[in-house]
Formats: sequence, C-alpha cells, structure tokens
Amino acid sequence: MSEFSLYLLQQLINGLTIGSTYALIAIGYTMVYGIIGMINFAHGEIYMIGSYVTFIVIAGLMGMGIASLPIILIVALVVAIFISSTYGWTVERVAYRPLRGTNRLIPLISAIGMSIFLQNFVVLSQGSRDVALPPQITGGWNFGDPSLYEVSLSYMQVMIFAVTFISMTLLTLFISRSRMGRACRACSEDLGMTNLLGIDTNKIIALTFIVGAALAAIAGLLLGLYYGVVNPFVGFIAGLKAFTAAVLGGIGSIPGAMLGGLILGVTEAMTAAFFPSEYKDVVSFGLLVTILLFRPSGLLGKPEVEKV
Amino acid sequence: MNQFRKTLLGLSTAVCMLGLTAAAQAETLKIGLAGPATGPVAQYGDMQKIGVMAAIYDINKAGGINGMMLEGVIYDDACDPKQAVAVANKIVNDGVTQVVGHLCSSSTEPATDIYDEEGILMITAASTSPSITEKGYTTIFRTIGLDSLQGSMAAEYILTNAKPKRIAVIHDKQQYGEGLATSVRDLLAAQGVKAAMFEGVTPGDKDFSALIAKLKKENVDFVYYGGYHPELGLILRQSAEKGFDAQFMGPEGVVNSDLAKIAGAAAEGVLATAPKSFDQNPVNEARVAAIKAKGEDPTGPFVFTAYAAVEVMTDAMTATQSTDAETLSDYIREHDFDTAIGKVKYDEKGDLTESTFLVYRLHQDGSKTPAE
Repeated sequence: MSEFSLYLLQQLINGLTIGSTYALIAIGYTMVYGIIGMINFAHGEIYMIGSYVTFIVIAGLMGMGIASLPIILIVALVVAIFISSTYGWTVERVAYRPLRGTNRLIPLISAIGMSIFLQNFVVLSQGSRDVALPPQITGGWNFGDPSLYEVSLSYMQVMIFAVTFISMTLLTLFISRSRMGRACRACSEDLGMTNLLGIDTNKIIALTFIVGAALAAIAGLLLGLYYGVVNPFVGFIAGLKAFTAAVLGGIGSIPGAMLGGLILGVTEAMTAAFFPSEYKDVVSFGLLVTILLFRPSGLLGKPEVEKV
Repeated sequence: MNQFRKTLLGLSTAVCMLGLTAAAQAETLKIGLAGPATGPVAQYGDMQKIGVMAAIYDINKAGGINGMMLEGVIYDDACDPKQAVAVANKIVNDGVTQVVGHLCSSSTEPATDIYDEEGILMITAASTSPSITEKGYTTIFRTIGLDSLQGSMAAEYILTNAKPKRIAVIHDKQQYGEGLATSVRDLLAAQGVKAAMFEGVTPGDKDFSALIAKLKKENVDFVYYGGYHPELGLILRQSAEKGFDAQFMGPEGVVNSDLAKIAGAAAEGVLATAPKSFDQNPVNEARVAAIKAKGEDPTGPFVFTAYAAVEVMTDAMTATQSTDAETLSDYIREHDFDTAIGKVKYDEKGDLTESTFLVYRLHQDGSKTPAE
C-alpha cells in the first residue's frame, strides 16, 4: 500500500473510533425523540456522569488492591450503567413527566435546566478540574511499512468497536424481538393509541430514558478509558456532537443514529486529515446543514407526519 | 437565674465582638484578587491566591500600610471574558481600588478598560498578551514578561539548542495560544526555518488522533504548542499511545503539575518557557518556608509574581502615602522596586523592562529543571 492509502486507513480508524461513541450517545437522543417527540438536552450530562462513575469505581477498586483488569472493567461498567440509568430515569421523572401534555417548549427548557443543574452538581461535588486516570488498556497493533507510514490500531480502539457493536446488536434485538421493544415501537407510532390499548406508556417512556442512559454510560466508560481524562464540561460538547449525529441520520431512527455517528466521526477525521484541523467542526456542521437542506428528515428518517 | 446570666453574658460578649469587627473593618485596605477560582484552569487562580495572601500576611505582620491592615478579597472570573467584565464592575462597586489580576489574557483585556476608566490600580501577575498594555492605559501594570518575549525565547532555543529537522506549530485558537504560536512561527521563518504545519485545535476537545496521524505523516520531530495544559496533556498522552515521539515545547500556560497527571509518563522531557523559579531564589527562602508551613505549594509560576504585584502596590502606597491610582501609577513608572522576583522596573506602557522567563524541561512527577 502506498503512503497515502496507509494514512487514509489510519484516519479512517480514528474516525470510526470517535464515530462509534457518537453513535452510542446519539441513540439516547433518537429513542427519546422517536417516542415522545422531544429532545432530551440533559443526555450529554448523563454521559459525563457515566464517565465520572467509571473513574471513581476504577480508582476505588485499584485502591482496594484489585489488579485484575477484566474484573475492574466489568464492575465499572455495571456500576456506571446502574447509576447513569438512575439519573436518566430521574430526569424523566422530574423534568418530563410532570410536564407531559403541555406545550413542547416547556419540557425542552426544563431539560436544559436539568442539564445545567447536573453539570454544576458535578462541578461542586467533584471539582471543575480535569480528573485523569493512568492508561488501563495499553498497546496495540502496528502495521504498514514503517519507512512509509505506520498505521496504529490500539487495543483500546478495538475494544471501542467491539463494545459498540455488541451494544448496538443487543439494542436492535431488544427493540425488534422483545415484548418491551414491541411496546416501544408501538409508542413511537402512536402514543395515544398505545395507551388506549392498555400499555403503560409511562413505563415505556421511562424505559426509553433508562436504555438511552445505559448506552451513554457505556460511551462514558469507553471514552473515559480512551482519553483518560474527564471534566464536568465534556457532556456538553459530546451531547452536541451526538445530537448532530442523530439529526444527520434522521432523528427518531435508531439505525439512522448509528449511521449518523459514524459519518460524523469519519468526516471529522478526514477533514482534519486534509485541511487544518480547526476546520473540522466547520465541515461537519456544514455537512449537517447540506443534508438537512436536501433531506430535511435526515438520511434514514421517515418524512415527518404531523402528530395530532 | 444562672441560665439568664449566662445568656446575658453571651449577648454582651457578642455585642462587643461585633463592635470590634466593625472597628477592624474600617481599618482594612482591600486588595481585589481577580482570577479563576473555579473552571478548568482554577489552579492558576490558586497560585495567585497563595502569593497574594502570603504577601498580605507578611505586610500585615510588619504593621500594615500607612496604619491600615490589608485584606485580600477574591473575585472569581473563571477565566471567562464575560465574567471578567462582571467581576471588574463588582470591584468598582465594592470600592476596591487595588487589584491583582486578572489571570488569563483574554479576561484581563476586557477588564482593563473598566479599571483604567474608574481609576483602579491593576497589576496582573500572569497575563502575558502584549495588547493589554498597548492601549495607552495609565493604571495597568504587570509583574510578568510579555508573550512576545516568551515567543522569541522559544524561537531562539529551537534554533540554537533543539535544531529540529521538521517543526510543527500548533495552537488552541485563543488569544494567548495563537498569539504565541504565530510569533514563534514568524521568528523561525525570519531565520529561514519554515514550519511544516501551522494549525489550531479546539479548546475542550478530547480527541487529537487525527492531528497526531497528520503530524506523523509530516515526519515532524519538534512540536511547538501555544496553549494551556489540558489540551497539550491529551496530545502528549495520545501521541505516546500512537507511537509518535517528537519533542514538544510549550509556553508557561502548560507548566502545571496537572500536565503530568493527564499525560503521565508522556510528560517527561517536555520543554517550556516559564517564569524563573522564584521559589528557588535564596531571597525567598523564608517566604517559601512560610507558604509550605501553611500546607500550600510555593512552586507555581505565578505565586511569586503575585507576591511581587502586592509588593509593588504597597511600596508605592507607603512612599506616596496615598491610595489614589493616578498618584500610585506615576510613582510606579518612575521608580525601581526590590521585590520577590528581583529588581522591577517599568517602561512607559507598564511592562517590565526585563524578561522573567527561562526555558525549562518538565518532568513526569510535575517538577521542572532548567533546560540545557
């Protein structure tokens, strides 16, 4: 392979890594939108909390003298999912449920309030500085001709792909095969009718927030380990990017969120590869505008049918 | 009965104490400390606080200034230009007439307008952007050298000591970082060394893998980074993971023990221009010991520049017997001061006439040693 194609491959790997985590967070936006037609602006903060919980658990376990990496990671994952899901459920209970049936703008504002609250809550309880964790999963494969360009694929990146792929598969199976999944799909088609047919829609909406939060917690763990640094402000940018990914793929569509995340990640990496990297946000958001101009419902979104 | 007496006694003591504090308050002279007490760069605010509080403590122990005790009041701007303006207005409203701060150049700049207009003496111990003193203000000074001096020092070191084959200049698109990066690039170009890459990153970004892949492709062996430690820390960490081992160099904004916390072993050997380690200066031995005794860290780059800022202010106040900013400013421009950072002399703009920087090599335990 030539130097150019090796370089392209490296940037593709970088883009897919960051893109798959965008996709994980984007699922939370798209599921909530698909069912209640609202944007959960506190979702980025749930991801941030997931990262913090991971750091606290890992530091705690290492402090207790547990050295086995798989045990540390599994415990961190379970605790992060549990705590983030609790926060996701609470956000729904506090900021959405009491406002159901009101003007759409009101829950939107209460969600922004929730986001500011959560961010400041973490600032006050954990401090506003960067918290760092030593690298846990090190090493990787290098291939390509070292005299031309050496492509590196770290074990951490492979783990990000693998965990994202497994989570996405499980989610797809859950939505398409399980009873609860069927209820979710019914809710997204017609919330009022589903309610009339005897399904507890409150429960399904709460479930949506919990599932979204669990995926955000997985992203929080993966990105926390990948970068090794977290601060209370990471949720805002990550949330914005994931929201963009969800809109790009077609908000309300789960495969759309996955696709949107990957496209956004790869676009960013490729822009940084061939233009000065300060243009990467310009290009990715330019792409968003262009796609929305020609396909207002996103790449895989269904054309909007006005809900009554 | 007994109970009643106790209460009465307690009440009268409380009243006496209230009276005392009121009397004491009337005697204090407030010095405002403007800088980040919260936010991602709050540790720089801590350094300033440690220095100013130590200076105030020493001066008060020696009897205060013109019969008045000093008191440091903290104003938090979180290094945010918008909050800096709000803080400056609050300082004006509170009647504080001497300010040490602000810290980040981008928040010092909007605040200076307000101080100059309202007649408040401001000495920044950390802002190095040249434009702060270029507007013809009378009451604005610093106890730290300029960005441009740091840039020329870095460029000189690169040309004479490091002699890299291919150099990249990266910055964080902010006033401080981009200003420095631009001056380094231009100074190198003037000597015939052309930067292979010159580009910006977004502050707060966590993923630099695309940038690192590009640096690797360009076969860069030296990177100058204009910006602060959170981004450089991540760039170093991710470079090490991706097997990119160039020599990195930064300005004093990256000199911070958090750099090593973020980057781990990858922080070893990074070069940086930083204010001279005044805590190593034998003159400051007693002050360092006093700060350590309080359980605080005297090694931060802004601790003794902040200490010196208070000294310049109070020396001028003692000499002029005044707290009027105009009178003090005139005095400061015309005289030399003997401070914790050595002899201090100002030019017409309010800048130091001598640079306070040196090139250091940083280590993974957070310490630094002068570079060879």
